[in-house]
Amino acid sequence: MTIEPHEDHAIIGKPVPKKDGWIKATGEAKYADDLFMPGMLYGKLLRSPYPHAKISHIDASRAEKLPGIRTVITGKDFPGIKYGNMPQTRDYLPLAIEKVRYIGDEVAAIAAIDEDSAEEALDLIRVEYEPLPAVFDAEDAMKPGAPQLHDHAATNISAESAFQFGDVDKGFAESDYLREDLFETQPIKQGMLEPHACIGLWDETDKITLWASKQSPYVVWKQLAMGLGVEASKIRVIQTYVGGGFSEGEQEAMAMDFCAVLLSKKSRRPVKFVHTMDEVLSIGHMRHPLKIWLKTGAKRDGTLLAQHLKIVANGGAYSSIGQLSMYLPGAMLNLPYRVPNIRYEAHRVYTNNGFCGALRGHTIPQICFARDSQLDTIAEKLGLDPIEIRLKNARQPGEVTPNGFRLTTFGFTECLEKAVEASGWREKYGKLPRYRGIGIGCGSLVSGARIMGHSASSAQVNIHEDGTVFLVTGSTDVGQGADTVLSMIAAEVLGVRMEDIRFAMVDTDMTPADPGTFSSRVTFWTGNAVKLASEDAREQLAEIAAQKLKADVKDIVFRDRQVYVGHDPQRGLSFGELVRLAQHRLGRIIMGKGSYTSGDALIDFRTGYGNMSPAYTPSACVAEVEIDPETGQVTVTGIWGAHDCGFPLNPMLVKGQVLGATVMGIGQALYENLIRIEGKVMNPSFRDYKMPLTEDVPWLANVGHVNVITRDPSGPFGAKEAGEGAAAGVIAAVANAVYQATGVRFKSLPISPDKILFGLKEARGEDGDAQAKRQSLTSERSKGGFDESD
Amino acid sequence: MSYLRRLPRFEYFAPQSVAAVCNALADYPGEARLLAGGTDLVLQMRRREIAPRYVIGLKGLSELAFIREQADGHLAIGAMTTIQAIESSPVIRKRYGLLSQTAGEMGSPEIRQVATIGGNLAGALPCADFPPALIVLGAKVKLQSKQEERLVPLEDFFLRFEQTVARRDELLTEIYLCTPPPFSGGVYLKFHDRHSMDMTTTGVCAFVTLDKERRLFRDVKIALGSSAPVPLRAKKAEAALRGRAFSEDALEESASLACEEAEPRSSWRASRDFRLELIRTLTKRAIRGAWEKAVAASDRGRA
Amino acid sequence: MKNFLPISLRVNGEPYDLLIPPWRTLLEVLRENLSLTGAKRSCQEGQCGACTVLLDRKPINSCLYLAVEAQGKEILTIEGLSRGAGDLHPVQKSFVEKGAIQCGFCTPGLVLSTVSLLDENPNPSEDEIRKAVVGHLCRCTGYFQIIEAILAAARERAGKDTEA
Repeated sequence: MTIEPHEDHAIIGKPVPKKDGWIKATGEAKYADDLFMPGMLYGKLLRSPYPHAKISHIDASRAEKLPGIRTVITGKDFPGIKYGNMPQTRDYLPLAIEKVRYIGDEVAAIAAIDEDSAEEALDLIRVEYEPLPAVFDAEDAMKPGAPQLHDHAATNISAESAFQFGDVDKGFAESDYLREDLFETQPIKQGMLEPHACIGLWDETDKITLWASKQSPYVVWKQLAMGLGVEASKIRVIQTYVGGGFSEGEQEAMAMDFCAVLLSKKSRRPVKFVHTMDEVLSIGHMRHPLKIWLKTGAKRDGTLLAQHLKIVANGGAYSSIGQLSMYLPGAMLNLPYRVPNIRYEAHRVYTNNGFCGALRGHTIPQICFARDSQLDTIAEKLGLDPIEIRLKNARQPGEVTPNGFRLTTFGFTECLEKAVEASGWREKYGKLPRYRGIGIGCGSLVSGARIMGHSASSAQVNIHEDGTVFLVTGSTDVGQGADTVLSMIAAEVLGVRMEDIRFAMVDTDMTPADPGTFSSRVTFWTGNAVKLASEDAREQLAEIAAQKLKADVKDIVFRDRQVYVGHDPQRGLSFGELVRLAQHRLGRIIMGKGSYTSGDALIDFRTGYGNMSPAYTPSACVAEVEIDPETGQVTVTGIWGAHDCGFPLNPMLVKGQVLGATVMGIGQALYENLIRIEGKVMNPSFRDYKMPLTEDVPWLANVGHVNVITRDPSGPFGAKEAGEGAAAGVIAAVANAVYQATGVRFKSLPISPDKILFGLKEARGEDGDAQAKRQSLTSERSKGGFDESD
Repeated sequence: MSYLRRLPRFEYFAPQSVAAVCNALADYPGEARLLAGGTDLVLQMRRREIAPRYVIGLKGLSELAFIREQADGHLAIGAMTTIQAIESSPVIRKRYGLLSQTAGEMGSPEIRQVATIGGNLAGALPCADFPPALIVLGAKVKLQSKQEERLVPLEDFFLRFEQTVARRDELLTEIYLCTPPPFSGGVYLKFHDRHSMDMTTTGVCAFVTLDKERRLFRDVKIALGSSAPVPLRAKKAEAALRGRAFSEDALEESASLACEEAEPRSSWRASRDFRLELIRTLTKRAIRGAWEKAVAASDRGRA
Repeated sequence: MKNFLPISLRVNGEPYDLLIPPWRTLLEVLRENLSLTGAKRSCQEGQCGACTVLLDRKPINSCLYLAVEAQGKEILTIEGLSRGAGDLHPVQKSFVEKGAIQCGFCTPGLVLSTVSLLDENPNPSEDEIRKAVVGHLCRCTGYFQIIEAILAAARERAGKDTEA
């Protein structure tokens, strides 16, 4: 029995505070580094100082003799089984065995009685390396004769994707205007505050337990089993509070996880690993830096006819989920604008840099940056308004894209209108004083995706005799509010209060298998599962209530801890009484279960065809900037967004997601850049990897966020995602605003002050060397030999 | 190849007097480091850039935490005075507004709470913010050792990256500022990508003394930070303005000279060309701002 | 153990006598010796504020402060703020109610800085708030709801004062 959304929700749609807010506000919440166990040892990892080298020999004997050191392991202590995400891209090892492929690649691990000893012992491990030629640039790595990183990839291609829909050549031939541009984006890190941390225990019964800060414990569980060569049932992954996810390694098993459990086996003690923040910023899991070639054909009236997109991704030393990373840009080029003919080629290339994986938005924000920047240029050349050209090409609900995305709800037109309204666009565009500009950027995301074998989510609700509910899912709360929103769904369906719901953290021994938290899937997929599970429990209780109250099952109402006959509310009993009746009198323990999968077929990655997600979320973002033309400094003075989240189950949490993602977008547009010179990270520190702080965001009065409500029929209470989509267009909005402010189009990220300064000079025809100075900025950064001093 | 670590082992002591500190420095030449606020040294130790055998903690030296107007009107600031204390000091706000402005823009409240003026100077990092401001104010520092104490003009204090003229047995104890001349004012402008917290990419400080009757630059001091291995006084840039009236041409000329005198490096943080652009712009703006302050001071004097 | 120093710390109103190596930071001693894990190990460079505690009511980065030097000061950690289960400090309450907490890792440090700010400046403007917490990195919220929570906490406090 499903429950249709209606205006009279008791809990859904209200700004309920996050359930774990109080435990975090008091400092009680235990993150992995806050856990201490009796006899616990401390682990440290030895990392390669070379970007590419063979390992000839490792001698840990001196380290082992240091007082306080309990165990040292190397790659050879593991079975040598490669693990990873897809059969064709599994190239991770727990610790390197034959060679290292980037500065930071893990080579050995130590467990000691304290961190000081472990650190000291790292210096005593003798590793003999044979340095190999290294390659850092993706295009160089693809050339014949380039150093080969992996045996299976002769030309260093880590993943490829290519597909075509429609007839792009014909589309270009019929276009009145053709535009081709090259864009470049930079390596980005998640920047969460919690460094990776875990505790591993391999106990006397051969059971392996890992407490860890993970978004996808189930994926970690499987990968651990694979890499350790043991049955998965021997492994238990227990999720601790996650101090920020954004997919930095919490999606996968990392070296520390493997080492913690193996060191535990050898030392017979629990072993804790915590990365330092410079480790976190030096290792992999970055957002792919992309080179993006985009050619677009349009008619004179702005109708888009065809697009050809080519991507070269600097993937770094390992694959991670690279296959998916390469599929997404071409796939998502189909949204939010209608493009009937698309051709797409992408290569993800192995290089001796830190590797790339998912990061809030994955490879989509980069594409939106390129596509929406170019769209503004096309509009300008055709003499069209940037809003009009977007409205003209806006996809509508019910459409099917050339690559098979079926749009259910898709309020993109409304997003555009609301963003324009909220920002005061009409009063500002073209009317702002010099060096101030307003720009728009748009994008779309998915609400979870059917992208691998197991994509379903399941839930179980256990009803207790005191009227409380224990909600069990496989989804992790990483701060986004899953704990709260899923509890709200259960509370709404069961007619109890939020404080009656307890939300289980993931424990692979006990919670249902689940891919975890990524791709903005939790509200939709797990939310649906929770709704089904709650309805299941509710139905069981309703039947009992109907009998007791001598009424029709369909007349039973559950609300505010009461269960009563709808048209005769006096006939009723409390929720708790009903449960006790069921349990004690009838001997029935009430448990509800539900499972959700979208039912769509898997994407055919060879052709790129398939409906990736049950629901898509469009967004529009407007940014206003002010430039100091003599220093190039950019201030974002306003930011307004409209995002179709279907229905905001909790508007306060949706706002937090949307605005948080927006500020991450500002960071990527203007400040963030993980700089490597010859493979070495120069700025592995929050001081120099610059993320926005309070003084970098607009004043509250100049920030707006609008939920476009479309009530998706497949989403729980009509909800779709809110975690990633709203930020897809932010970078483009900022880039377009900078163009309006300066008249200079910047096609490489970040749009830093030095680029702006020299761009302006070049545009003004001042300083004959300005262009060279602008271009030299990139090459300066790739020269070696600079010290800390400046 | 090391990542951040636990702090290295050291012996710690906290002498209760300046004399005791000087004795300790003499006893452990080259093996002891002075720990002031810790916001630089603790980090350097964590990175293993420094691993001293002895750490001499100075936080207990209340005799070095003071802001004192001397009988002759000069100001003495103890080396252990925190940035926060400098920023909020009424006498500094009133008489040395430039200094409290500079202090207020350094780091975060948490950093300012413990970081000290002495540490900022003795650390001799090119990106330090106090040196340019203090140099244009004509500051002198007192160095004390077991044998002697001496005064060094701050503009002569810095030798090279992370090195000053202070001998390893000397403690920087006090900073002296003369009474600023009447009708004067100063501005420190620094540039960094974000709007706060960043290391200074380039900083320019200007201090202008107005010739009130003739409405000319009576005196100008210009100091550059993060523009050379050490904080730099741009003397040619100053000379170009002395005795002149305020004009855009004069500013332009002065700024060009400042660019010539500076020796900014290219690094992954910022290119030399960009820093030169910033020096040009910030010099003009700093001089303009200081001029306006000096004029305002003279207007107040008139009233 | 020969390098260890005996120290006395006053934390959340309680005295503690400890024997610790002088190279331990206040953050490490709070977390590892006193089991007060509310202050977090994050950047360890003074750039993120996650380790912030109050020393004599003023916020400092405990990752850069030696424990031996914290003697003779009143140290307040997040654990010392609320008055017991269910009785949150008004600033904590405001953070919870206004959506200022997502992953929560930056929260203890931010809450303490806010307490210190409101002690000194009970009615801060938005500008003053931004400057007061500029040393706190938050990657989740984008700061807006944090600033709103601080403004709300200030209003709430002012309301209570006028009632009294």
